[in-house]
Amino acid sequence: MSIRPLFAALAVLALAGCAADPAPNEQIRLTEQALEQAKAVGANADDQPEMKLAEDKFNRAKGNMADQSFKNARMRAEQAELDARLAEAKVLTLKSEEQLNLLNTRIARLRKQLGDAQ
Amino acid sequence: MNLNSRALGGLLLMACASLYGCAGQHSETALQQAGADFQKVKEDSNVLRIAPKDVIRAGESLARADRLSSYWGSGSDVVHYAYLSQRYSEIAREHTNQVLNEERAAKLELERQRLQLALRESKLLSVQQQGKWLEEQIVALATIQTDRGLVMTLGDMLFDTGEAELKNSANRVVLKIVQFLQLNPKRVVRIEGYTDSTGGKQDNLKLSRDRAQSVADVLIDLGIDDKRIQVEGYGDEFPVEANASERGRAQNRRVEIVFSDEKGQLGAAR
Repeated sequence: MSIRPLFAALAVLALAGCAADPAPNEQIRLTEQALEQAKAVGANADDQPEMKLAEDKFNRAKGNMADQSFKNARMRAEQAELDARLAEAKVLTLKSEEQLNLLNTRIARLRKQLGDAQ
Repeated sequence: MNLNSRALGGLLLMACASLYGCAGQHSETALQQAGADFQKVKEDSNVLRIAPKDVIRAGESLARADRLSSYWGSGSDVVHYAYLSQRYSEIAREHTNQVLNEERAAKLELERQRLQLALRESKLLSVQQQGKWLEEQIVALATIQTDRGLVMTLGDMLFDTGEAELKNSANRVVLKIVQFLQLNPKRVVRIEGYTDSTGGKQDNLKLSRDRAQSVADVLIDLGIDDKRIQVEGYGDEFPVEANASERGRAQNRRVEIVFSDEKGQLGAAR
């Protein structure tokens, strides 16, 4: 009889435990990695607005971690990760465009020389 | 409950409803936007080919946002997953553009190599034509097509009196000879030195040989294989003019370059 409320309390506690977000350590690591990778290909906050977003959100996520506000930390870190990946992708696309332009210039020069030679 | 508190309650209720409405509208817009972006990448065959994983993730995040949107009070989660979905769609698009650029660059690189080859061939052709022209020039300028072969004469003015060293004024003609020999890799030459009859026999023989050797040295310095060059000194033998006049003596002081035929056959030495 008297043990029932105890069970109920335990069940409620367990449910609450499930609902609370665990610390998103793995996500923080992933985001950090994505930021480093983006920096490695030359993304920076001045040229890529996405990179600025990523850095700001990651800093706030770390603040949330300190406050144990794990849900906010996870969401901000997740967004920061994708912001960084987008910044990286944009830099790589830009580089591939530059490469194309360079090739086109060289080909134009070759064609001109061939035209002159004939 | 008086009228005032009722009105207040009503106002509070309306405020709540409008707040919820705003949040709901916000998440609804985000969801629609993400859905539209996802639709675009999903229908692009290049994106599907190049970045299928990003498209799948965009779809998964969108489905999650969609599911959450039916729950009460999950507005911020909906916006979050809609945001992730949009990012995945954008990343898929960027990856696709990058790879398409790289594929085009690979094709252009082949084109560039093809053009480079064509240009090299065309330059070679023009130099070969120049070589033919040079040959005509050498034939016209130098010489007599004698029984000794094609003979080119380097006059006395290309050397200082009594000296074996070629003067700088000979550079142009020497470069032409080098070019001619490079374009005709089978041809060989014999370089023959001659003097006039003034001075001692041995001195003349030595001077004629030294002058011929100095011409050979310059050719070798400019990259002609020394195996293709013979050197002879004939002293005052074989004059082309009588040694009686100054003009005749000047003509006799000379270096002659005898070219072989195209197969490398050189006439016998004198």
